[in-house]
Amino acid sequence: MRNNRWKGILGGFMSLALLWALSVTAGAWTYEEAAKPYRGMTISVLDEITPMQEAMQKYVVNFEKETGIKVDYQLLNHFEVISKGQADMLTGRGAYDAVMLHSPQLGLLLKAGVVRSIDDLMKNPKLFNPNLDLDDLVQPAWDSLAKFKGKTYGFLNWNYNSVYWARKDLFGHPEEKAAFKKRYGYDLAPAETFQQVRDIAEFFTRKKGEKLAGKALATDSYGIVIEGIKGGTTLWDVWYTFVLNWGGDFFDKEGRPTIDRKENVEAVKFWASLWKYAPPGTAEYSLIDVPTLMGNGIAAQSIAWSDFGLGVDQPGKSKYAGQFEYRGIPRNADYSGPRAAGLEPSFIVISTHSKKVEPTFLFLQWLIDKRIQDDFITKTGWGVPVRNSSFDLPVLAKSRLSSMYAAMKETMKYGIAKPKAPKLYEIFDVLSAIIQEIALGKKTAEQGLKEGQQKVLSLCKKCFL
Amino acid sequence: MPATEAGAPTVGPAPAAHAETKPQKRISWYPYALIAPTMITLVVVSLIPFIYTAYLSFHEMNYARVGDFAGFANYKVLLTDGRFWHSMWIATLIILIAVPIEFALGLIGALILNQRIRFRSLIIPILFIPTMMAPIVVAILWKIMLAGSWGLLSYNILERFGILEKLSVFASPDLALYTIIFIDIWEWTPFMTLALFAGLQSLPVNPYRAAAVDGATPLQTFFRLTMPLMIPLMAVIGLIRFIDAFKIFDTIFILTAGGPGSTTESVSLFTYKMVFDWWKMGPATATAVIIWLLFFVFCNVFYQVAKKKLGAF
Repeated sequence: MRNNRWKGILGGFMSLALLWALSVTAGAWTYEEAAKPYRGMTISVLDEITPMQEAMQKYVVNFEKETGIKVDYQLLNHFEVISKGQADMLTGRGAYDAVMLHSPQLGLLLKAGVVRSIDDLMKNPKLFNPNLDLDDLVQPAWDSLAKFKGKTYGFLNWNYNSVYWARKDLFGHPEEKAAFKKRYGYDLAPAETFQQVRDIAEFFTRKKGEKLAGKALATDSYGIVIEGIKGGTTLWDVWYTFVLNWGGDFFDKEGRPTIDRKENVEAVKFWASLWKYAPPGTAEYSLIDVPTLMGNGIAAQSIAWSDFGLGVDQPGKSKYAGQFEYRGIPRNADYSGPRAAGLEPSFIVISTHSKKVEPTFLFLQWLIDKRIQDDFITKTGWGVPVRNSSFDLPVLAKSRLSSMYAAMKETMKYGIAKPKAPKLYEIFDVLSAIIQEIALGKKTAEQGLKEGQQKVLSLCKKCFL
Repeated sequence: MPATEAGAPTVGPAPAAHAETKPQKRISWYPYALIAPTMITLVVVSLIPFIYTAYLSFHEMNYARVGDFAGFANYKVLLTDGRFWHSMWIATLIILIAVPIEFALGLIGALILNQRIRFRSLIIPILFIPTMMAPIVVAILWKIMLAGSWGLLSYNILERFGILEKLSVFASPDLALYTIIFIDIWEWTPFMTLALFAGLQSLPVNPYRAAAVDGATPLQTFFRLTMPLMIPLMAVIGLIRFIDAFKIFDTIFILTAGGPGSTTESVSLFTYKMVFDWWKMGPATATAVIIWLLFFVFCNVFYQVAKKKLGAF
């Protein structure tokens, strides 16, 4: 009898709890509910074509199913996404509601006033997902990319980053280990400092006929391969990382050019010294060539973009697949200041010419939603996370390439977006030409950077926005 | 021949009444109608954009938005920029080296093909291949062939046999431009060959028969007969190739991106950067106008010289 009474009270409580839970659930924010006023609309989004975005292009159908908002998700190559995206925004044509931007583009586009801030949208409870958990986005990538002078311009959509890349089979070979220890006085292992990078590069640069890992070489072997082609690729990311790790920079805090400062000269000298141990084609190597050469076993180590590494380190893609080991970008052993690493965070922004701001904002949130990111990475089987929590996903943490993900994580700790300078592309174009000439021995670092200082000063006295 | 009312022709002078009436002034619209589609297309796709470009070049440009009238300010910015002159020189150098070689090799090839050699019907379609390829494909093809340390030719032949052992052609400030020129010659010599071969095929036979009867040597026949007859065609082909070579872009963009340093930065690449990387629309439009003016002057001089001295056109 007594038991029945307690059962009745407990049942009553449970019913009340269930009712409360149901009422809370009914009022919870969902994409479906938020998208109701925009159902049937089509938004147009321009993104860059990489394997990650190609996978996303197929995945966005889930957003359409969930919200009823159609997404015309267009992909173009690196150069076209910059030229066509910027042209659309700067001319006010408004063909795209949202456009993917790389961090160096921001200065120019913010100056032109064509990037819409999302602060008002984030304050709108009907539109903003309260469970978006923005604290989980990778930092300092997001803040340095998307926040400027008190305004937020988007989330973090892609997080291209460079990692240190080494040949495990060479580094683990007993004869090579012994010879290295004898010559340099410390153990051969993936480099933690740039000075070790240079020692390893020197050590593994061998001529045809010499032995490498116990076998006679049929062709020359090189100690390192790094990017060297100029143009709109990522050469600047490589030498800029050296410059920052040497305590230098090309601008002071106010954005005045400081190209020829002592730290920069030393950093560029060190970077150029690595070219001695690189294949002769370094000045023509792009971000695509570098992983290709590593995949072909031509060099012992590299600094390369992780997403390209993911493509090469696959069975069937390279005969050295599984023989690679990865680390974050090394540090400068002679500098105790802040570290830097090559990171190119990028995001999809809403154009000020968009007439469909609200559904576009919903889509941008959906893209970085933890639920979506987890599902997308799990289904794809790999990824370059924009959320810290993604690194804990079993598909990455227990991956064959777990050292790659650990390396990415390490790089992301120190990588920041490029400064917001409207003439940044022109500045880096000028400097890339000079830097190439320094590395090819046509100019000394002192001469080149002095010339660079004059040229950059002729472009801008105060270069930041 | 005048006609009767019944329509039957008559013989003799026309009736006086007819002779007194004023000859009707016929509107000769027919030729204009024939060229109208071409002219309209040219005006729409060429002249109007050019006039607009010229208009923009005299205005301040706030990225892609037209500002106030700026006079010659954009031209001043451009003409005082060392990179502009350097890129013009690079394009000129490409023309000066590539076009004469393409022309000479093309002419030799055409003369050989004209000799009814064996497998001619097989060779001609093969010759079309480089010219039919998109320039971007040509660039990728040569990247695969000559890329330092992994290119098919550079790795297996040039490096293995000690030629260019410590050098990559695209990465060398001394060789990159000449490699670009070599690729241009590879791509366009077949076009020259085929165009000149077509010209040779259309030459009249009788002068050659007469020359043979007169006992002319092959060299005499070539210089006194073939060359004069071919001059108009050669002038047109040479001019087209000259203008086209100046616009070289794709191969450089893919293979060197203007480097090493700025040794291969042609004026097209420089203009592309001004527009799409730096959004300096004012100086970029001024470049277009200056290049147009240069070619306008050059083509007119060329036309007059070819017409008066060479009897072309």
